Amino acid sequence: MKQREPPKFPCKMEMEVDKISNLPGHIMDKILSHMSLRDAVRTSVLSSKWRNKWITLPHLVFDNQCILGSSQDQTFVKNKLVNIVDHVLLLHTGPIQKFKLSHRDLQGVCDIDRWILYLSRGSVKEFVLEVWKGNRYKLPSSVFSCQKLIHLELFNCLLKPPSTFNGFRSLQSLDLQHITMDQIVFETLIASCPLLERLTLMNFDGFTYLEIHAPNLQFFDVGGIFEYVNFVNTFQLAIVSIGLYVDVGYEHSLTHGNTSSLINFFAHLPRIQRLEVQSYFLKYFADGNVPERLPAPCIELNYLSIRMNFNDMEETLVVLCLLRSSPNLQELEMLARPEEQTDVGTATSFCEKDYQNCLFNQLRLVKIAGISGLRCEMDFIKFVLANSPVLERMTVKPASSDGGWELLKELLRFRRASVLAEIIYLDP
Amino acid sequence: MSEGAMAVVKPEMKSYIWLQTADGLIQQVEEEVAMFCPMICREVLQTGMGSSKTYAISLPQRVNPAILGLILDYCRFHQVPGRSNKERKTFDEKFIRLDTKKLCELTSAADSLQLRPLVDLTSRALARMIEGKTPEEIRETFHLPDDLTEEEKLEPLRNMTDDPRIRLLNRLYARKRKELKEREKLKNVEVEEERVDERSVDDLLSFINGGDGDSKGVRCTKNKKKNRRRKDQPRDSSSNNENGNHQKELNGLPSACQNGEVDDVPSQSKTLNLQDSASVPFSPKLEFDDGDIDDELDPAMKEELDREVEDFARRLNSVWPERMQEILSLGQERRLVPISMNGNGSLKTYTGMLLIKLNLRQLCPFSYLSLLVFFFFFENFNLD
Repeated sequence: MKQREPPKFPCKMEMEVDKISNLPGHIMDKILSHMSLRDAVRTSVLSSKWRNKWITLPHLVFDNQCILGSSQDQTFVKNKLVNIVDHVLLLHTGPIQKFKLSHRDLQGVCDIDRWILYLSRGSVKEFVLEVWKGNRYKLPSSVFSCQKLIHLELFNCLLKPPSTFNGFRSLQSLDLQHITMDQIVFETLIASCPLLERLTLMNFDGFTYLEIHAPNLQFFDVGGIFEYVNFVNTFQLAIVSIGLYVDVGYEHSLTHGNTSSLINFFAHLPRIQRLEVQSYFLKYFADGNVPERLPAPCIELNYLSIRMNFNDMEETLVVLCLLRSSPNLQELEMLARPEEQTDVGTATSFCEKDYQNCLFNQLRLVKIAGISGLRCEMDFIKFVLANSPVLERMTVKPASSDGGWELLKELLRFRRASVLAEIIYLDP
Repeated sequence: MSEGAMAVVKPEMKSYIWLQTADGLIQQVEEEVAMFCPMICREVLQTGMGSSKTYAISLPQRVNPAILGLILDYCRFHQVPGRSNKERKTFDEKFIRLDTKKLCELTSAADSLQLRPLVDLTSRALARMIEGKTPEEIRETFHLPDDLTEEEKLEPLRNMTDDPRIRLLNRLYARKRKELKEREKLKNVEVEEERVDERSVDDLLSFINGGDGDSKGVRCTKNKKKNRRRKDQPRDSSSNNENGNHQKELNGLPSACQNGEVDDVPSQSKTLNLQDSASVPFSPKLEFDDGDIDDELDPAMKEELDREVEDFARRLNSVWPERMQEILSLGQERRLVPISMNGNGSLKTYTGMLLIKLNLRQLCPFSYLSLLVFFFFFENFNLD
């Protein structure tokens, strides 16, 4: 019954030619990890030497590629996916360093609980779960006992750690998108990951107060609806991208009195190098007193991107404050909020003095997009050109081509402090 | 004159590192090139070796002189600072155009020298040679022995799904195999069947694909060494015969094809037409030969086998739609597209599958099974 087919080559020659089967295990793992899990598992029928090569693969990635073709039948796909994960986990041996589950038809099924429980007994370092369909998947408590986790990435999940949860002591990178958790859970989660270096938060609910207590944090990317952000002990934070998805209005000044949210924000960001202020977050800065400049300048800040309403006096003051406080800025991007650029800007006029005391000694690249040629916008461009002695390139891209010619003619006339500066006009 | 001499001497002023490969060969290599390998760098810094011929650094066993040459080429290019990413990428792409044997040796050698970027590059290249390929193609690429029996190949499947159909398939397969062996012994001549037996699943697939527009059998290139005789006789002269043959086969088809699904299938005559165009790549002779062999079987056994195959086919058909889905999607990836003759998808699907059955029945039971195994494999081993 078990007779083997005669090998196609004489043994000696085979050894000579078949180099790949004799490569060391860690190289084999490397080769197999460069292909989809499906391809890797399929190698087990190649030959007797390949039978068990894949089973020590340290990275298990179950994504769209692990099922061929998409079926409309949800339960069919679900059953198949569950079957695959079950069997791969059953056949697999050795440590699993990375486990990623992200299939476009995946719903938050209870089978995931079982897999997480299994993983939590090992030493999984990277765990990625993306539930693309259905309601938030409630994570089982076992996930909170994965103490070896270095990277955790969750999409469409509900986090409710057990009372015994003591934080992820090794976690360096946390990516949470479309998640739900309580205010208190969020605060303790962040504060109890002492090694956290990267934090991404997108589209969350259940908490509105972003208290970020993370001494090792270097990267923070947040986008969503929140009321307040407070950095505590974030002295390593270098890259911040922050977007507030709703126009909060000014009722906040009542809640926070007359303390400047701008000053509070930067108080614990001495090392900031790149800052992106997206959506309506500039309005948050405009809340409360806006000083002429920050108490301590952002010495290391070299990249600044701001989405603003050029017509809004408050916002303009914030931008000027930021620019005055960033002596080493090299790259500046200004994006107009298109929905607010429609009204005629003659009502707000800038005093020349607003633009004084401001010299961009390091500014090399400027990008301006979404403008419509309003007075205030042109004044801003004029001001930047006149105060940037080492400017190399300014790119201007209006929101629409209406009035583009007029805009160009005006651009041409502006004096430039830098002899090297070129102005590039991009068609919308 | 003296300047010229200086120019010749000048390179000598450069620092060199002495390296010794496992076969005893010693050579000197520019320091900045050699130091690009972390293993050599560490050796130089920690032990001070490599400064002269007598203190040459012995390289690991896995680095033979030919491979060392390649590695040094790699280091020589990449140690130069200021190259753009694009330049590096272009170099890398050219660099890995090697045969699989060299590529494997290079991976292993780079690993032993701890040259991580090169290990990444080569292992990625090796992975690309494996992903998306059929087991046959991979075996051919890397000269792997096909030393697993069909039962063994199916073993993981048995673990994965306790599907009675797979057990049945296994049993059937074993029986067919035994039977073929016996027949071989009995006849002790080089019959056609032997060669048919050798035909891989790939051949069958290309055969099935033969109908979709390239009746010239373009896809056969891979299997040139395998048996693929084509009679270049004019098609008209043989078509009658073929037709007759098909007709006979069709009538003798497992009932599964005639009840149930057949309602959804185009009329039999249409199927026959499709069939004709699809069977071009194969010699009609072959089919007749197979017919002969079939006839020489012990009638009782033949009947029994037929019944079993029929039964199997019926079971196979029981979850037809999803199976077709899979086979279809499978087809998209490995270019196994059912013959596209008539417009709508479902029609294609069914005719395609029916065709497979028809032709396979004609080939020989063994091949028929191997294709079923193939389907089973790709469908159930479903990281597929």
